[in-house]
Amino acid sequence: MSSKKLLAVVLVGALGAAACGANDQKPSGDAAAKPDKGGTLRVLSESRTLNFDPAKSQSLAITTLGLVHRRLTGWQNAVGQPAKVVPDLGDTGKTTDGGRTWTFVLQDGLKFSDGTPITSADVKWGVERSFAPAFGGGLGYHKDLLGGADYKGPFEGKELDSIETPDPKTITFKLTRPYGDWPWIASTPAFAPVPKGKGAEPDYQEHAIASGPYQIQTYTKGVEVKLSRNPNWDGSKDQVRAGLPDEVVFQLGQDASVVSQRLAADSGDDQFAFGASFASPAQLAQLQANASAKSRVVTSKSGAVAYVALNTQKAPLNDVKVRQAFQYAVNRSAYQIASAGTAALAGDAATTLITQGIEGREQFDLYPSKPEGDPDKAKALLAEAGFPNGLENLSLVLNKSNNQTEKAEAIQAALARANIKVTLRTLEADAFETETNLSENPTYDLTLSSWQPDFPSANANIQPLFATSEIGKGGYNISRYSNPEVDKLIEEAQSTVDPAEAGKKWAAIDKRILQDSPVVPLIYTRNSFIHGSKVGNFFIADFPAYPNYLQVGISK
Amino acid sequence: MRYALTRLGGMVLVLLIVAFCTFVVFYLVPSDPALLACGKPCTPENLALAREFMGFDEPWWQQFLTFLGGIFTGRTFGTGATAIHCAAPCFGYSFRQNTDVLELIGDRLPVTFSLAIGAAVLWVVAGVAIGVLAALRKDTWFDRVALAGSVIGVSAPVYLVGLLGILVLGFQLDVVPVGNYTAFADDPVRWAWGLVLPWCVLAFAHGAHYVKLTRSQMLETMSEDFIRTARAKGVPERTVVGKHALRNVLLPVVTLTGIEFGSLLGGAVITERVFSLPGLGGLLIEAVHNRDLPTLLGCTLFSGFLVVVANAVVDLSYGVLDPRARLT
Repeated sequence: MSSKKLLAVVLVGALGAAACGANDQKPSGDAAAKPDKGGTLRVLSESRTLNFDPAKSQSLAITTLGLVHRRLTGWQNAVGQPAKVVPDLGDTGKTTDGGRTWTFVLQDGLKFSDGTPITSADVKWGVERSFAPAFGGGLGYHKDLLGGADYKGPFEGKELDSIETPDPKTITFKLTRPYGDWPWIASTPAFAPVPKGKGAEPDYQEHAIASGPYQIQTYTKGVEVKLSRNPNWDGSKDQVRAGLPDEVVFQLGQDASVVSQRLAADSGDDQFAFGASFASPAQLAQLQANASAKSRVVTSKSGAVAYVALNTQKAPLNDVKVRQAFQYAVNRSAYQIASAGTAALAGDAATTLITQGIEGREQFDLYPSKPEGDPDKAKALLAEAGFPNGLENLSLVLNKSNNQTEKAEAIQAALARANIKVTLRTLEADAFETETNLSENPTYDLTLSSWQPDFPSANANIQPLFATSEIGKGGYNISRYSNPEVDKLIEEAQSTVDPAEAGKKWAAIDKRILQDSPVVPLIYTRNSFIHGSKVGNFFIADFPAYPNYLQVGISK
Repeated sequence: MRYALTRLGGMVLVLLIVAFCTFVVFYLVPSDPALLACGKPCTPENLALAREFMGFDEPWWQQFLTFLGGIFTGRTFGTGATAIHCAAPCFGYSFRQNTDVLELIGDRLPVTFSLAIGAAVLWVVAGVAIGVLAALRKDTWFDRVALAGSVIGVSAPVYLVGLLGILVLGFQLDVVPVGNYTAFADDPVRWAWGLVLPWCVLAFAHGAHYVKLTRSQMLETMSEDFIRTARAKGVPERTVVGKHALRNVLLPVVTLTGIEFGSLLGGAVITERVFSLPGLGGLLIEAVHNRDLPTLLGCTLFSGFLVVVANAVVDLSYGVLDPRARLT
C-alpha cells in the first residue's frame, strides 16, 4: 500500500470512528475507491421520471437537480457537522432591516451552458416562473413570503414587485414579513436561474439550460438520462460541487431488489454505479452475508424523525394527559426491530422533534423511560385522566405505499400493554393523504409518519408539522395541533435573523410542543445505500440522510 | 357488412364502458390528482390554481365529456405562452410526465411489443410442441415431466421465476445481461440478447397453459372417428398428426393466444418491473401510484382496445382455420 493510500485509510477510518461511535456506521466510501476526475458515474433509479425543471422540483440541494442547476445559495454538509448555508451563484445574503429585505450579490463571470452570462434577472425569472400554474409541484416556501397570492408567473407580462434587480449582479427580495431563514429558502430549486424569457414549454425539464457542472445530453423518457460536462461551468467559482465524473447516467425504472443484487455482484458498469433508493431491511440482511457488498453499504448517522401523530382535536386524545401516556406506552425498541431488523440499521430512539444535524438542536427527553417504554406509567397517566381501564377502539390509519404494517403492528402491540386498544386501517396513498392532509374532519385517532426537513433549519422541522396554518388544506400538521402560544413563538423564531439566537428559540419551541405531546417521536430513521466498488467519496453527512451526489466521483 | 358494423359498434361500446368505469372508480376514491402539481407547502390557493389548470375543477361528468370531446377536437390546458396543446386524437395529457398520453403509450409500446412477441412465439411453439409430444407419448416419462413442468409454470409467480432467473443466469452464471433494454432500431442483436431472459420467463409461465391445453385437445382429437378413418386409409402418421389432428387442436390455441397476446400488449406489469423494462405495464403502475388519471385512463383504454381487437382477430381467424365457421 502506498503512503498516500495508507494516509487516506487512516484519515477515513478516523473520520468514520469519530462520526459513528458505537453503531459502526460507515459514513464514506473507502480509500480504495478514492475518486479521480473523469469517467462515467451511473445512478440506478427506481423512478421512471427525473425532473430537471427547477420550478417543478422538490430535490434537495445536494442531489440530482444540483448536478445541472446551481442556486442562489448552497449547502455545505459534512460528516460530524451541522449543515451550513454557503454561497453558490451568489453570496449568502444580507439584511439591513431585521430580515424583511434580503440582498444577494452574484459572483462575476458566471455563465449558462449555452455561453450566455447568468444575471440577477435570470434568477428573478426563475423564481417568478415558479408561480405559473403550468409549473407547479415544486418547493414553494418562498411564494407566501414574496406576496404572490394573485401572481401567476411572468409569462402573462407581469413582474413580481417584491423582487428587484438594480444591476446584473444584485438581487433584492422584499418579504411580507421578517424571515431569518431566507438564505436557506434561496437554496431551494426555484432559485436556480432560467434565462429570462425562456422556459415556457412544458417539457423544459428535458432540455433545461444548465448552470451546474453538467448539462442534459439526452433525455430518453422512462429509460435513461445522460448528463455530460457543461463546458461553461467554472469549478473555481463553485464551492459545493466537485464535478468529478465526465458523465453521469441515470438509469430509470430499475427494480430495487435487482439493483441491490447488481450492486452486490459489482460487475461491469455496475462497479461505477450507486442505487438512488434506500436498501430495504430484506436487502440489507442479504448484503450482510456478502463481505464485499457489506463494505459498500453506507448508512446515514441519522435521518427523518419517525413519529406517531395523535389527533389532538378528537376525544379522548384532546386531553394532554392522555397524549402524554402514549409517550410511555410506545416501545421504541420493538419499533426499531420492525423498521430494519436491528437498532443500528433503524436509527437512534428519538425524543425531540428537531432532527440531528440541524444547527441549534438540543438533546432532551421530557418523558424518560427505557427503550421498551413504561406501560405502568402510561396506565397511571390514563387513570389520572379518567381512563383507569385504558382506551378502546382507537383507529391508527396507515399509508399502504409506505410499507408500515409491521411498524404499526409493533406500535399496536406496545400500546396494548397499557390497555390502549388500537385498530389498524390501511389506506391507499392518495386516500391516506386526503384523510390526513386535506380532510376537514378526519376520523383517525393516530397515524404513523416521518419528516425530513426540506432545508437544514429547525424551522423546516417544526413549522410545517405544528403551525395551526398547516392543518388540513394540504398541510402536514397531521396531529392537528393548534396552540396560539406556539404559533406566536414560531412566528418570532422565523423572524430571528441570527442563527444562534434562532436556534435557541427553536429548541425552546421543540420542548414546548412536546409538553403538549401532539406526537410521539420514535426514531431518527437511518437510510442505507449501496454503491459499486469504483465509486468514491460516497458519504452521507449528518444532514440530510442522503448521499451528496455533487461530491461523488469514480476511481479508475 | 352488417356483421362488421355490429362488431365495430360493440367494440366502441365496450371501450366507452371501460372509460366510464375507470372515470367513476377514480372519482369514487377519495383523492385529489391536483395535489401532484400543488407543490410543497400546498396552500389552498395553489391547490385551486392547479385544479383549474389541469381541468379538475369541473364536475366529474363534465370532465368525462371533455375527455371524449378531446379525442375528436384536441384539448388545450391553460392559456397564453404556457398553454399546453394536446392535438386530436387527444387521449389526455399527463402532467406528471409532461407528455400527451398517446405519445407516452407510443414510446412504451415498442418495449412491450418486443417483450410480448418474442415470448408469444416461444410459448406457442414450445407449448404446442411439448403438448403434442406429451399426448403422443402419453404416460411416458416425457409426458410426466411435461405435465409436472406445466404445473410449476402455472403456479410459480412470474416475480419469483424472474428473480430466480436473474440471480442464477444473470449473476451466478453471468450468461445473460440484466437491467438494460436496447431498442431494436439501435442494435437488433443487443435487443434480442437483452430480452432472452424475460422472454423465457414469460414463456415458461404462459407456455404451461398451452402444454396442458394442447395435450388434452390432442388426446381427445386422436380418439375421434376421422383420425381412425385416416389411419385406416393408410395416411402416414405424420400427416394424420400434422394435418388432421393439429388443425383441430389449433382452434382453442389460437383463441387463447389471441386473447393472451392482446392482454400482454396492454402491459406485462410484473415482468416489466422485474426486468426494469420501460413498457406499458410500468407506465400503468406509475400512473396508479402517482394519481396520474389521464395516463391511467389512456392505458386502461388502450389495453381494452387491444383485448377487443384481439378478440375480433381471433373470431376472424376461425373462418380461416375452420371452414364451418366461415360467414356465408
